[in-house]
Amino acid sequence: MNSLQVQPVARKITGIRWLPPRAGNAYTDTDLYFVSGSSAKHKELVLWTTANPDFQQTNDDNNNVDAETSSPLATLVAKVKHDGDVHDIAAPASDIVATASSFGTISIYNIGHTDSGDSSLSLREAVTAHKFANGEPAVATSLSVQPTNSADAEIASCGEDGRIAYAPISRLDALQRHEVDSTVITGVCWPMPTQLAIATRAGQVKLFDRRAPAEVQAVFVDPSNTYEFECIAAHPSQSFRLATGTDTGAVLLWDIRNPKKPTMEAFNVHESNVWSVGFHSSDAAKIVSCSEDASLAVTQWVSDSDRQSRGVRHLSGFFNTLSVNCFDVCPFTRTSIIIAGSDSGNLLMEKTAASDFAIY
Amino acid sequence: MARLGTDKFVVEREKEVATRLSPGVFPAGRQSEWSAQNRTLTHSVHPLTNSVALGVAGKLPRELLKTDVRVYEQDQRVYVCGLGTMPDERLPFVNDTHAVFAAIQSIMDARGDHVGVDALLRMSALYREAMLRQVRVLQDARDSEFVRSENDVFQAMHAVWHLLEIVYVTTNAGLSASVVPYYMEWLNFNFPAPAAADGERILGSSPDANALAQNSDVWPYVQKLALRGHVTTVANMLERIAPAQALSAAASRWARELAQTARDMPLGSSDETSGSFNGRWRRWNSGLQSMATNMGSMLDKADDAALSALLCVVDVMRGDADTISRVGETWQDVLGAVLLYSEPTAQTERLPALAQLVLEQFEADDFTLVDRTLAALVRHELPEFLVYCNQIDAWLSAHVSDLMEHIGILDSCRRVFKVEPREHYLVALGERYLTHEGLWRVAMDYFGLCRTRVSQSIMGEYIVRMPLESDRKAQQVLRVCERYKLTEASERVHRQLGRQKWQRGRLGAAIAHFVRVNDSSAVGQICDQLWAEYLASGLLTYGPIIDSVLASSGHDRVRFLTQYRDFHECYKAGEFARAGKLLLSILVGEIAPIHAVPDLLVDSIPLLEGDALVFGADDTLELMRCAESIVFVGGEEGGVERDELSIFSVACARNLARSYVMQ
Repeated sequence: MNSLQVQPVARKITGIRWLPPRAGNAYTDTDLYFVSGSSAKHKELVLWTTANPDFQQTNDDNNNVDAETSSPLATLVAKVKHDGDVHDIAAPASDIVATASSFGTISIYNIGHTDSGDSSLSLREAVTAHKFANGEPAVATSLSVQPTNSADAEIASCGEDGRIAYAPISRLDALQRHEVDSTVITGVCWPMPTQLAIATRAGQVKLFDRRAPAEVQAVFVDPSNTYEFECIAAHPSQSFRLATGTDTGAVLLWDIRNPKKPTMEAFNVHESNVWSVGFHSSDAAKIVSCSEDASLAVTQWVSDSDRQSRGVRHLSGFFNTLSVNCFDVCPFTRTSIIIAGSDSGNLLMEKTAASDFAIY
Repeated sequence: MARLGTDKFVVEREKEVATRLSPGVFPAGRQSEWSAQNRTLTHSVHPLTNSVALGVAGKLPRELLKTDVRVYEQDQRVYVCGLGTMPDERLPFVNDTHAVFAAIQSIMDARGDHVGVDALLRMSALYREAMLRQVRVLQDARDSEFVRSENDVFQAMHAVWHLLEIVYVTTNAGLSASVVPYYMEWLNFNFPAPAAADGERILGSSPDANALAQNSDVWPYVQKLALRGHVTTVANMLERIAPAQALSAAASRWARELAQTARDMPLGSSDETSGSFNGRWRRWNSGLQSMATNMGSMLDKADDAALSALLCVVDVMRGDADTISRVGETWQDVLGAVLLYSEPTAQTERLPALAQLVLEQFEADDFTLVDRTLAALVRHELPEFLVYCNQIDAWLSAHVSDLMEHIGILDSCRRVFKVEPREHYLVALGERYLTHEGLWRVAMDYFGLCRTRVSQSIMGEYIVRMPLESDRKAQQVLRVCERYKLTEASERVHRQLGRQKWQRGRLGAAIAHFVRVNDSSAVGQICDQLWAEYLASGLLTYGPIIDSVLASSGHDRVRFLTQYRDFHECYKAGEFARAGKLLLSILVGEIAPIHAVPDLLVDSIPLLEGDALVFGADDTLELMRCAESIVFVGGEEGGVERDELSIFSVACARNLARSYVMQ
């Protein structure tokens, strides 16, 4: 098991997301920012900053510092109270974050940076997206941003009331809701800008066309196993590949090119519920997943041609015994950084140098 | 030494905590007025955490009062008081030590009886690191009474734990290891003396040897250094003092000689046999003895302050018990010097006897709680030790009793305590953790890893009272039940989830939960609700709901609804023959509820009347038999549906005739 770096932050972290770099798409920022959301006793959104590992000098003096005075992984920059537990965070731009809360609301926060170096988080607007039939608020379990470059990108959320809701980020009040499932919907993602995919606790993956979202376009189920899905993610470029995580610790990779006969492959990488899954941002042949068994797994899958290079790498920390709730891989750096949050009140980080790149 | 009575081992009174409600419920001092106006306080205790909700209530119901009482704003307040909560500042410490605790349990499981002392030593060191980290964090925090008291607690815990580690783990290896170097290390780390600031002050204010020799603080300082075994520093100080003019020639000479002797103090090394070390040490000691005799005879002839101070140092270093008792301030000091200078190869077994001798010289009533704890530990009085640990902090007693269990020394306590000590303290700690929302999972681990029947049942009670705010939390609770094999609790949680979803209108999910616990009556009721909705609306929308229920559920009503839905689909698709077969199988299999059968029969009418022959002769006879059986059931219903039944009978007859002709 490889080990993760651990920083205790005295908050149960249930959502975490890297922010896009401030200077547009240039990779010249020396500091990276990410937002974490916490639940239970202290419900907050916190903005953190950490040094960009691509810019670390090779003759580091830091290597000689003894363990007691090692610098923290990330420094707190700003925080704001959040209404309800944070179940998911999305970062559509470097100055906006959207959160899904346990009261069923989608909230948009603005991030402001002043010239003097201070930063702040402030609530811009919130809309209630999920409610049960008897009026009680339903937990919004997941959020996903439409992968278009248009200014009017939409954000989709799914909740325990079996509905998907989406709204343009700039106009949250134009929210639309559709009931699409009778059990809890645990994950939502956009394989294409016009297509949504959801994963439900009944072990089904359902596809929707954005233009006709109330109708189910296709349903995929593995009849030989009674899975319950906890999360879903779409391949960044191949829209027919989806990954879902189950409650027993398997990560399933779907190929839905043939809607009547989808193929599915199971990787049993964890021992307990897989809370979040995603394709690695710089190497989509790897699937990263985090689980209740307090570890992250990086699974190398490749298409059938090359079976030998498959494998799994597990990451965990000795002082982190409770569930890893969420993780995010930084898509903006060459060095791969994964940050994760856990129930033990820890921020976890792993950095691995990119294996092949030309030095310039 | 005041001994605790046996009753104190059995029951411990928690410290009483009092909180003032603020803003108050009534103006200060007007309690009797308030009470006379039919008011009193009512309370309710939270099932999980140590919090109490308080509110104003009336002694008699309002309706029974002769005159109506005005309701004030204070009457409508509800106060929530937390008692003995876990402060946030301790969270990193709690989580880190939880990881170590879980690791110890799994190490002990894996290795069974062949436990390596190294593993326990490593874990023990990790605990201490966690305590020291917390102390550092507290030192960085803003000063307040809370921070100071927390600081005291953690330093006390570290001192106690460190000594426990030394006495029972480090020297437990079976090698004839001496406890003395470890004891000195412990002493100098946890109770550092003399203060380095004092030394700097003395040196700083005395620029040259003369001034140094005349500084009144210097000799006590050197004596204390000698007491603590800092021989190199002693030698350095003496060499600085020696050239002073103020000293007599004799004093100067003796100072230099003493410095040299101090530097020659033998230190044991791992590859030296104890015999050779003892030899060297005896020679060194006898050198000091003769030094003392010579200096003593010189002092008889002439009074010399510096010389007598030097003699004091020599006396300390040769192990003279009286001088040591005089110079030492605390019993830990005295015990350390006695060990270091008179029995440097003493093993752990010697500690109780030596400690008893030392402790008798001190007034037991002046001891602080930490002193009492350490004294009990050094004298191997483990039950007392545990009780004192508990008074320092609940964390300490829980983890100490766990460590003692793993080392194998808890049995002596079992004979004294009425309850199982490890279980009692671990459960108490778990309950303490439950008062903090974010630590429920940690608390469950403490209950679970305690591994006794009592802790298992306590855990079962707490887990079913966990608030299930979200689906993810419910999953985590179920995982805990699975991990610790709490099957009954797991069923109760499923039932709770089923009811929760039923109320919220998520019928498919509710059915799934009730099917898991085989609660067929609840499933039946939900299915009836679905059927009633269908009848009311006329639209068969429950299809997707039923699909999501586990296909292998095998519950009658669910199968009925599924087959009925299939029947509807076939009918809509125009596959009348199949539809007919499905309908018939529902009726023949008798899986439909009684009140639904008339509707099913009515559904069969279009098939009977249709162009193609759907039901053969036997099938039609089956249908008619069903019709007859329901007519005799219930009076009112038969009456209401007589028209439809007559249509049905006619259709049956016609179909029967047709079937005979066609076949």
